[in-house]
Amino acid sequence: MIWHIIKRELFDHINSLRFILTFLILSALMVTNAVVHLQTHQDRVRDYSEDVTNTSNELKSRTQLYSLAEKGPGRLYKRPSSLSFIADGGEAYLPRRTYNEGSWSKSGIGGRVKSNWWLSYGSVNPDAKDFRPQATKIDWVFIITYLLSFIPLLFTFDALSGEREQGTLRLCLANPISRPTLLIGKFLGTLITVLIPFIFAVLLNLAVISTDSWTQLSGADWGRLGLILLIATSYAGIFIGLGLMVSAGTREPRVSLVILLLIWVATVVFMPSTLGILSTKWMTPVQTDDQFDASKDAALRQISTDFDDRMQTIKEKKSPNLLSMSELEKLFETSPEEAMAAARKMQEAWETEGDEEMALKAEYINKDVEIRERFNRQHLDAQIAQVQRARDITRFSPAAIVQYALESMAGTGFNRHLQFLEHVHRYIKQFREFIVETDRADIQSRHLIGIPKGMSEKPIASEAIPEFEDKVTFSDTFNTATLDLLLLVLLLGVFLSGAFIVFLRAEV
Amino acid sequence: MLRNLIRQEILGHLMSARFLAAVVITLLLVVANAVVLLEDYEQRLARYNHQENVHRQKIQEAKTYSFLKLFVERPPNPLSVFSSGLDKRLGSTFEIYHGSVPMISSGSARGLENPFLNLFTKIDLVLIFQVVLSLMALLFAYDAISGDWESGTLRLVISHPVRRGSILFAKYIGAMLCLLLPVLMSLILVLILLSLNSTIYLSGENFLRIGGIVLTTSTYLSVFYLIGLVVSTITRRTATSLMICMFLWVALVLVYPNWSRFSINPVGDTSAERSSTNQQVEQIWEEVDREERQFIANSPLEGESPRFNLSYSDWSSSWGDRRRQINAKVQKESEPLVPHLQKYNETMETLYIRLAEQTALIRKKNLDNTSLRKATWDERLMKLSPAGLYTFATSAWAGTDLEGMSDFVRAVQDYRRTTINYLHDKKAFGSRQWFASDQGTVDWWDLPQFRFAPANAWENATRALPELLLLLLTNLALFTVIFLFFTKIEV
Repeated sequence: MIWHIIKRELFDHINSLRFILTFLILSALMVTNAVVHLQTHQDRVRDYSEDVTNTSNELKSRTQLYSLAEKGPGRLYKRPSSLSFIADGGEAYLPRRTYNEGSWSKSGIGGRVKSNWWLSYGSVNPDAKDFRPQATKIDWVFIITYLLSFIPLLFTFDALSGEREQGTLRLCLANPISRPTLLIGKFLGTLITVLIPFIFAVLLNLAVISTDSWTQLSGADWGRLGLILLIATSYAGIFIGLGLMVSAGTREPRVSLVILLLIWVATVVFMPSTLGILSTKWMTPVQTDDQFDASKDAALRQISTDFDDRMQTIKEKKSPNLLSMSELEKLFETSPEEAMAAARKMQEAWETEGDEEMALKAEYINKDVEIRERFNRQHLDAQIAQVQRARDITRFSPAAIVQYALESMAGTGFNRHLQFLEHVHRYIKQFREFIVETDRADIQSRHLIGIPKGMSEKPIASEAIPEFEDKVTFSDTFNTATLDLLLLVLLLGVFLSGAFIVFLRAEV
Repeated sequence: MLRNLIRQEILGHLMSARFLAAVVITLLLVVANAVVLLEDYEQRLARYNHQENVHRQKIQEAKTYSFLKLFVERPPNPLSVFSSGLDKRLGSTFEIYHGSVPMISSGSARGLENPFLNLFTKIDLVLIFQVVLSLMALLFAYDAISGDWESGTLRLVISHPVRRGSILFAKYIGAMLCLLLPVLMSLILVLILLSLNSTIYLSGENFLRIGGIVLTTSTYLSVFYLIGLVVSTITRRTATSLMICMFLWVALVLVYPNWSRFSINPVGDTSAERSSTNQQVEQIWEEVDREERQFIANSPLEGESPRFNLSYSDWSSSWGDRRRQINAKVQKESEPLVPHLQKYNETMETLYIRLAEQTALIRKKNLDNTSLRKATWDERLMKLSPAGLYTFATSAWAGTDLEGMSDFVRAVQDYRRTTINYLHDKKAFGSRQWFASDQGTVDWWDLPQFRFAPANAWENATRALPELLLLLLTNLALFTVIFLFFTKIEV
């Protein structure tokens, strides 16, 4: 019996005007998406591979262990996803590489000290110089979140209320058909009707994209695509459930349509951004750049003066009765010759470098790197936490859930950026361990990482230097998407059972 | 009779569930977003005031003329609450330096608290009207004719001695009044929220501009209502007309504006243009090096500029590209060389000013041909949809469009010229205080202040006029089409 109902629904829908319009609009958008992807993806992949080769060549050209510590691993790039046509994920607003803030050197007591490389994350704000009007990218996320919710509503708003108005519902239920059967029949019939044009458009899209040699889809990618279709299906199912629920609860199809459309506008169009921005207003604000710089500088000044003091004591211990700078200046005014001699003595004391001084220098440099990285990391973590919380709140809207799930699947967007950062951190750790290990292998070295004289001077084999790899595994994407997938299934269940309850209680 | 018809239409709408739902949803969205937007504006205002103070302090810190670090901050526009346009996006801090002319693209946007928050799309009040009320307009219209036709009331009404034109007119007036009601109600709510807020002050001109925005909103909504009426008259079946209306709405409001920006790149690749501009600018700056060498050859100054062969007892400097900021104390034995150094500075800095204006012409041409051309073409394409026309018309009213931003940049450029004149009047470039503070630091008390008055409401109106006229024309065309169809329609 249920097959009969599904079949009837299906034929009814397929013959309707809305089905043809759905077909047209979905196909047009999917083709546009594919064509634009073909035009832009090539450049993205080429740029990435060029950048990565540059970094790796530069890294391999370094033969001294100290230069590795001083200059660091170079820029680390985020690998562009070959599925970026599915979800753009606001890539323009996320840095595509790590940055290098620069270096410093300081001279004074104890001679010259030069900084080592530290990791900084950078930030991008492309809007500041962009006068072009803002628009959302037409990716699968756009097509799915907007259209696969809007179209199900257009197919279901009159599914029950319309039949009730015409009286066919009463006729139908006079036959030995249970209400749940009727509802499930309607649900599945509509779902299949919506999925037919969608799947067709998807195939069209993939056909165009497969002509491109720059986008090669691996087996895991096809697995992801399958999951994406599943997500799209359950998302459409949620809105079919919602449509049936409202349609069962109202007498007139006109009223159910208005209610549905307004719910749709609120949840799909406005909630994902409004809730996100709204929620940040009640969170504790993140430090501004000025505040951040000020607190970092204070910490750095602290260790700098600390270093000066300790160096001074070491020098004083080694060669006592050295004059201080102010005393020296005073001496210059009374007897220049004597002062010159004192100054020469002072310079000599400064320049002769013992183990103690070197150890202090190395300690200072490493502490400097540590503080800078810690502050950068804390600032970044605070920003990330704020965005995470805002995203959690936007998950009230199923459109946002689908967006995040698709981003995880496609390997773009915010979660992907976090994965990239995690890879970077892991790599930096590995890189530094490599320096320490190589240094330890050399018995002639003083094992003071961070200063030229303290490290192994043996040339290093370029193949031995670890290289950065930004590879996303299938389990990674699945882990980040699990919550969203669960939420989607939950919502589907809620709306379907809601439709059941309302329909069971409804008078025919 | 006409009044009766209108009254009946209005009552019919007002009593309907859709009207109630429309009002509730619009007001909810408006209030939720207005709270956020107002708070956001307040924050930006606070940051603006903070930055202004920082800039003022920076002036006082400058002990010599060359050390002057002059910045100008763009104040946030209170009407960005209605139409955010470019106001929140573009960089708002401009540096005033005689050796470089500020352009619209040279504003910097430092101090953003969390750049990741850009991931959430920005919303303004106009967007709510644009999306929600256009949908409502179509929902009011889709069964206006076809519904009456199906239920037979149309025949009943026409059997009375009323002209068909007046039936149409009554329907139009009734629906438009009902559509404007949520607009006005949300406007009142926003104004109440505004008045609760003590930091935001709206001038009389701003009320005129808000009036302009309301006017544009009503013409925009009227376009959608008329589209609905056309579809309703042609199809004669409510179900068909509804589907056509809904898909038209999706296409015009949601899809097309994004689609045109996403898929069409009317200007093409401009990187060649950019690199040729950079080359031209480089060439111009080579002239500086030539003249510098020539000057040094004819002068007793020797050695590396800017220290030369003078000896200093104190020296602090800061370098930018071709920019030297020096604060030094010259020792007695170098005193005879000081006039030459002054002459050198005067020649070089006036040369910088001249060449900066030359490069500015080239850079402006490049900007016009690349970024600005892209922006205007994107605008034109987007304006093929009424939703695009509406967006740009309202941002023109609010002054947050490209023109409004250019106004500010022009004021900044004027200010640069004023400060150059000031420095000339003080003979600063050739003075000792340009590089040395040993004979007293510079007193900045009479440095001209930056003032910016946004374009007046009349100017905003003329800027919004083309889009407004296009919207009105669309209205007129649609109305004629309906009238033709409706007079011929068989009842």
